[in-house]
Amino acid sequence: MARYGMALDYKNCINCKACETACKEENGILMGADKHRIWVGTGEIEGEYPLLDLTSNVFHPSQCQHCDDAPCEEVCPTQATYTDENGIVRVNIDQCILCSYCMNACPYDARYVDDRTMTVDKCNFCAETRLARGETTTACQATCPTKVRIFGDLDDPNSEISEVLRTREHYSLKAHLGTKPKLFYLT
Amino acid sequence: MKKIEISRRKFLQGSVALCVYATSSPATIIPKKTTKTTITEATNIPYLCNMCRNKCAGFARVEDGVVTKLNPNQYFPKSRNMLCPKGNAGIDAIYDKDRLKYPLIRIGKRGDGKYKRVTWDEANEHIKDKLVKIFNEQKDNRSTLAYCNGEGFNKNEYIKFFGGKIGSANFLDEGSICLNTKLGATILTIGDIGEPDIAGSDFVIMAGANRYESLITPDSIDMIKADKQKLVVIEPRCTVTAIKADEWLAINPGTDLALCLAMIYITLKDELYNKEYVKKQFDDFDKLKEHILKNNYTSTWAESKTNIPAKKIEKLTKDFFTASRPLFYLGRRSVWAKNDFQFRRAMVLINALAGSINTKGGIIFGKPLKLPNEEINQPFYSNAQGRFDLDGIVYGSSKAGSWLNFREKLLNGSAPYPVKAMFIRKHNLMQNMPNIKKTKKMLEMMDLIVVLDTMPSDTAMMADVILPECTYLEREDMVVSFNRLEPSLALRNQVLKPLYESKSMQDILKGLGQKLTIPLFELSMKHDEELQESIEEMGKLEAFEDGGYNLSELYKQDISTRNKILISKTFGEKAYTSLKEKGVWYPNMEKYHKEVFNNSYVYYPEDRKFYTVNKKYRVKCHIDKLNKHGYDAMPTWRDSYDFKVPDKSFRLITGRYVMFTQSATANNIMLRDIMKTNHIWINNTVAKNLNIIEGDRVEVKSNIGKVEILAYPTNKIAPSVVFFSHGFGSNSDELEQAFGNGANDNQLIEDKMENIYGCAVMNETDVQIRKIRT
Repeated sequence: MARYGMALDYKNCINCKACETACKEENGILMGADKHRIWVGTGEIEGEYPLLDLTSNVFHPSQCQHCDDAPCEEVCPTQATYTDENGIVRVNIDQCILCSYCMNACPYDARYVDDRTMTVDKCNFCAETRLARGETTTACQATCPTKVRIFGDLDDPNSEISEVLRTREHYSLKAHLGTKPKLFYLT
Repeated sequence: MKKIEISRRKFLQGSVALCVYATSSPATIIPKKTTKTTITEATNIPYLCNMCRNKCAGFARVEDGVVTKLNPNQYFPKSRNMLCPKGNAGIDAIYDKDRLKYPLIRIGKRGDGKYKRVTWDEANEHIKDKLVKIFNEQKDNRSTLAYCNGEGFNKNEYIKFFGGKIGSANFLDEGSICLNTKLGATILTIGDIGEPDIAGSDFVIMAGANRYESLITPDSIDMIKADKQKLVVIEPRCTVTAIKADEWLAINPGTDLALCLAMIYITLKDELYNKEYVKKQFDDFDKLKEHILKNNYTSTWAESKTNIPAKKIEKLTKDFFTASRPLFYLGRRSVWAKNDFQFRRAMVLINALAGSINTKGGIIFGKPLKLPNEEINQPFYSNAQGRFDLDGIVYGSSKAGSWLNFREKLLNGSAPYPVKAMFIRKHNLMQNMPNIKKTKKMLEMMDLIVVLDTMPSDTAMMADVILPECTYLEREDMVVSFNRLEPSLALRNQVLKPLYESKSMQDILKGLGQKLTIPLFELSMKHDEELQESIEEMGKLEAFEDGGYNLSELYKQDISTRNKILISKTFGEKAYTSLKEKGVWYPNMEKYHKEVFNNSYVYYPEDRKFYTVNKKYRVKCHIDKLNKHGYDAMPTWRDSYDFKVPDKSFRLITGRYVMFTQSATANNIMLRDIMKTNHIWINNTVAKNLNIIEGDRVEVKSNIGKVEILAYPTNKIAPSVVFFSHGFGSNSDELEQAFGNGANDNQLIEDKMENIYGCAVMNETDVQIRKIRT
């Protein structure tokens, strides 16, 4: 029993996409830019050459936010989407009927269709792969060159993630929606 | 706070800065997992990555004989427990369906890609017949065979075979199309190549080097971790490194030397330099001072050359010289301009003027772990002639040669003897050096081309014989020593047995050596008078054995045995066990290696790092030899260095993205998944005037060729400059992913050479652009 979450020191992200490739390799995700459990968002830099606003270009890793109050879970007619005993929002593919309600309900656009199983797939913190092996890191976290991601148990006061959330300011995405995400962006 | 785009849909529509387009194409690799995951017994084998020239360490997870995941290795001080996207995609290099699987002999015309599958013995027999004929015609001049290598590992082993045993003087590697000017300038100025201690510096100037896209460990990682460090990036385009910097100074291509000269001028004039250090270590400081001040390299002068405002140059200089531990990062990158050697030298001198040599945060000498050299008995071939590619080059490097000079001398007939055979190992000549048409012509002059590679590259398609080498995960290599500040040994262990009929380089050379030993010895008996004399004196058998004519002698023992003996003997049994189990060893590793936070580790305690060592060296301001050859003994600006682009033309600059640093990974499906193709960066205002929008196909033309490529209008580049990345535009239709994808920079880049090290100059070609009407 744990309550897993992830803190992202996103200002250190250099958009190298090691996390995306590690995720795909670890979890056997299909090829294709629309098949991603995780991704790095970016915008164009502002200004005219050579007077560019360097602070305007922030690389922003994103994915399923593992909400405590997950809208995707609420709308699922077959209970295929569920929160497991470790607080990870997961999909039971035997129950998924690809109605795609969850895809529309997710405010973070975190879900996509896996063409092999014709079900909805998303990040599950490597629950079926690394965590199932007894490992304590996610693939994206372990490989990251600049160590942007801190994964761990939010209920364990001694965990690194708990420590970092105590000591550093952070925010959640679309907090006003009340979804209570378990991804935290460190500022 | 600025709104940041995080939506998946928006992300997919996003810019080509990401170079990802939504694709409907299905996956072409077999999905490794089905819907339900079963966890099988796994072994984790330590290995060293080989997806680019930088070396990182990892553990390969093997299940049922299949590599299912590559994970970072926490023990290696150099790579700091990480793997980049290329490192992760290594799995797709082993299981690439287009891999070279069997030995092949050409049956069609050279370049048309028609080959037949043969056995290893047939391939070796074919090579033997051709080589004996060539050496016989050339009267046993072994240098009529040239050999080249583009992979960091095994280079010495390869040289020992073709240089030591076969006896050719003509070895070439990537140095002259990469960083030899930097290595040379550093050695000539401070007597050593050193290592930048970027982690220890509080003020870093990075000129040109793109450390967040062309990753070099540990520098790339240490930079982002150094919270209190100020980073100023000097670069003609706004790279990711520039975006992440505290300040980016946009500079005219090829004018970094002018910036350096102005920095030296201000330092000398305002006496900002470290006087104590200068007094202790400098030679000819007065000459340098007089030269710089006399030439009036003021900030205003530099502004006219670099386009960086004079005030900024002055502030940069002052900030640098008043920082506690300033570092002008020497970089690891290609040669951009003809003045490159002097630019690098000026960078070293700036570090020295600040006293940032052999000290924390500067260029450190450190204390690398020394590995013994395995001696071989090298035959002496009296008819073998010397190399010619360094004729006319002031310094040059015999461990790298000069590709452009070598090629030019063969093409224009000024080489003192013909080169008729070429052995090319993992060196993509048809993509990696300027002016590919000339490379093709050079290769067409050969009677025998043998390519050792893992992929059917453009160069492999020019071969007479293709020998499939296994990938880095299928072999053990000789142990390697890394780094100076935090030194370690690392071992590439074998993860899998070679797939198909591929072999390790050593096994390939062993087979070839066995096939060639007797026929080539007989050839020497026929042509080599000194050998004839020895045979008369001591008899044939003894002359053979004494002279070291057994070509496969080095491979009597396999790599694994050689490593065991060498490591155990030099560093002890424990070191060997550590290298086999953890992939890494250094003295006191068990005591020193600790996790500090969230998968970040310390490797050496602060007081055990080799920041300052006892070493005799001088800082040489004035190099007489350069003067004697008609070059500047001290960094000097020449009018020919001025940045000028004709009307309606653009300066083409090249560079790299983190997903593709070399053409070797162009066919990797995972990397193609995160970056589909390369695009040409065109200034957004210029593009608007030319009616070019994102994704438009444009023709780019230089004096030597033209390519078609998709456009990316952006504000990140100057109006007079365009950029596209290296590594794309393969012409080999055996590469399903890479063939015809994007454009190859070297089809446009003119072959211009700097004469100090004979290096190819990459950023001095002008191009014209035309939108293609569709």
